[in-house]
Amino acid sequence: MTFFLAVVRRTLSTLVTLFGVSIIIFVVLRLLPGNAVTAAMGVSEGLLTKGQVAALDRYYGVGQPVIQQYWSWLHSLLQGNLGISLASREPVSTLIGTALPVTLELALFAMVIGIGIGVGFGVWSALHPGRWQDDIGQGISVIGLAIPTFILGTVLVVFLSTKFHYFPSSLPFVGFFTNPWLNFQQIIFPALVLSLGIGAAILRTTRAAVLEVYNLNFARTALGKGVSRRAFIWRHLFLNALTAVTTMSGIQLGYLLGGTVIIEQIFILPGMGRLLITSIANRDFPVVQSVVLIFAAGFVIVNMLVDLFYTVIDPRTRPR
Amino acid sequence: MKRIIGLRGVASALLAVSSVGLFSTTVLGASSSSAASSTFVIGTVNSVQKIDPDVVTNFLDFEALGLIYQTLVQENANLQIVPDLATSWAFSNGNRTLTLQLRQNVKFDDGNTMTSADVVASLNRAEATATADPSASFIGSVTNIAASGPNTVVLTMSHADVSVLEGLATVNMAIMPASAISAGTIATAPDGTGPFQYSAWVPSTSFTLTANPNYWGGKPALSTVELETIPSEQSISSALQAGTIQMGLLSEPTVVSTLPKTDPVQKVMDLSYRALQLQDKKGILSNVDARLAIACATNRKQILQDAVFGQGKIVGPVPLGPYATSPVSAICPTQNLKLAKAYLKKAGKPKGFSFTAITSTDLDSTSADQAVAMQSELAKVGITMHISNLASNAYIQDWLKGKFQAAFAENGADPDPYVMYGRYFGAGADLGVPAGYSSKTLQTELLAGDENSTAAGQKADWQKLNNTLTSNAVWIWLFDSYDFAALSPTVKGFTLSPVNTTQLSSLANTSIS
Repeated sequence: MTFFLAVVRRTLSTLVTLFGVSIIIFVVLRLLPGNAVTAAMGVSEGLLTKGQVAALDRYYGVGQPVIQQYWSWLHSLLQGNLGISLASREPVSTLIGTALPVTLELALFAMVIGIGIGVGFGVWSALHPGRWQDDIGQGISVIGLAIPTFILGTVLVVFLSTKFHYFPSSLPFVGFFTNPWLNFQQIIFPALVLSLGIGAAILRTTRAAVLEVYNLNFARTALGKGVSRRAFIWRHLFLNALTAVTTMSGIQLGYLLGGTVIIEQIFILPGMGRLLITSIANRDFPVVQSVVLIFAAGFVIVNMLVDLFYTVIDPRTRPR
Repeated sequence: MKRIIGLRGVASALLAVSSVGLFSTTVLGASSSSAASSTFVIGTVNSVQKIDPDVVTNFLDFEALGLIYQTLVQENANLQIVPDLATSWAFSNGNRTLTLQLRQNVKFDDGNTMTSADVVASLNRAEATATADPSASFIGSVTNIAASGPNTVVLTMSHADVSVLEGLATVNMAIMPASAISAGTIATAPDGTGPFQYSAWVPSTSFTLTANPNYWGGKPALSTVELETIPSEQSISSALQAGTIQMGLLSEPTVVSTLPKTDPVQKVMDLSYRALQLQDKKGILSNVDARLAIACATNRKQILQDAVFGQGKIVGPVPLGPYATSPVSAICPTQNLKLAKAYLKKAGKPKGFSFTAITSTDLDSTSADQAVAMQSELAKVGITMHISNLASNAYIQDWLKGKFQAAFAENGADPDPYVMYGRYFGAGADLGVPAGYSSKTLQTELLAGDENSTAAGQKADWQKLNNTLTSNAVWIWLFDSYDFAALSPTVKGFTLSPVNTTQLSSLANTSIS
């Protein structure tokens, strides 16, 4: 029951957070200079008569008071209607329905690879402190944190296309169930680029956490009692270091959603990042609001799940 | 070794993932090329924004819809007006009436034959306030559009206006079926007479066309044309080298220079120009001698080099076409620092003055480079130019309201100077506020050129206009740059058109070997 109450409490706070985000993004977008008409017409707006501008204002719905626009949007949102794109006149849900799976797939691949790199090399480094294995692990983490993803992505694209005439992401994107092999090739390289930064952060956290646990009394006791090396590493060291690793992984997953914005541009993936950038340029407010809200929801929900996961992996954090 | 067996597993899995991706290069290299051979894919950093030809303003929209729709007349590669859906035309009644004979046996994508009723409905739609056609003002003099038989259309103008033909050449004046107009389906289901038909549109991602089997000029060899949005020019170059696209539309000389020699690159002068627009109504820039000092201190050659690596041409007010400005300025066509100082003295500012210029690298990626180059040249005579780089929408808003002292701008050009400058400097000009300068002399010269229907007469009229614009340093015209089309070696028959809005028109005659 207490666990259920904790879930309810976290869910309510998540909803309040998202409500706050919706207000902030709505206000910030309205503070930007220009509107959908300016974005659509550019300097050609000056060629229009007042009557033509009024017709466009009505078409794009930009003439309404801001509060009325907000309530209208929120009302539709609560009914599951994300609105219509001002630029393409397509339902926002259709645009997001196409883009979201691409970003989720990219994030999933990157996260799996990143956790693999981070946990694998983190534990390996921690088990050999000060030795060459540790140097390799530390080197990977420094490289991963130091090289910006947009540089690594650009270099990788140029290298593959000039040396191997290979740039699968520039083919029209195909879904996993349509062509799994081509889909894998389109996703794997951007995922590798994204995963390096994630892996580096998790690696450092894992190494520090495992080293800390390694020096605790219970760990030495376990070794003294003759626990096998594998059981010692995974059951005694890693499980006790898992809280810190989980926290870092959750944070990285949240940032990852934002990180896909740049990588999707470089690798031409039609995901949420590209949708967001194009929509900001077009002052396509309904799309920007929905995409940002989904990113925010993703971040908040991941953190909520991480908090709940603590109670699974660490009995001391369970509500009493 | 035993103790790290679990970790080795993880590392091995990661290496396997990387290796599979890299190993697949040889496998997919072939598959991507073969996939692309049935479809002609064009990579561009822009994306199609709208599919109603009467409201588009984005160059790519013009290019994409220009393959679906046609206009009564069009501009050829030499920027001359030639037939399109009208085979001939004649002015009468002192250039106040224009009669156009329509091409026969032209079919729309819906299978209906084009008649004069469709043309009348199309032009009326373009002129209607509710449509908000940005080119409506180009045919603003037209007071009546009437059919005279099934294949003849008569336009009646309020005053003599030979430039109306140029106005009819834009995709904003596309001819569409009267039935689609009355059904209200134009904004969702393009239906034209051009060489290609609308197939699919994924906003911000791709726009797909298929060959029109009923095209009056013969079915195109390319079965499918896809405009794919690739956010950076470097990625377009990579996609071209990978063989996943057959053509890349580029504007950055640095990217073009990285392409292998095996990929042919076509370049044409862009039908636009870069200028430093000056607000001449207040402050120091209302002094003509101060403006002339800027004009004489400007080193256009250096700006061209710094902004686009010399890939362009120094131009005056009319960059291209039969009335192109030559020399580029009546005063100081090249940098003359001595004269600049003399003008400063005459302006009462012998030690120079300062002003602020706005740029927007969102709108023109070269504008900041232009500004920095100009800043250092002006400093040689003591003129301090502050630079304020703005986001695109902020720039547009300030520009439209004339809230700037000077603005680096990339403006669309036209071979007809009246079409180019009537909207800035004509009587009651729509863009009179951002133009910043107005004079009766300019208005008179614009009107005289517009009403004159003889080539020699127009040439003289437009030379006068060029002189007036440059001898008053109304703006400082700088240069025109190249547009590039990088092609796969397998592409045959494509020629990049200098007309921005129909750059892709030769796709109708293009094939892949």
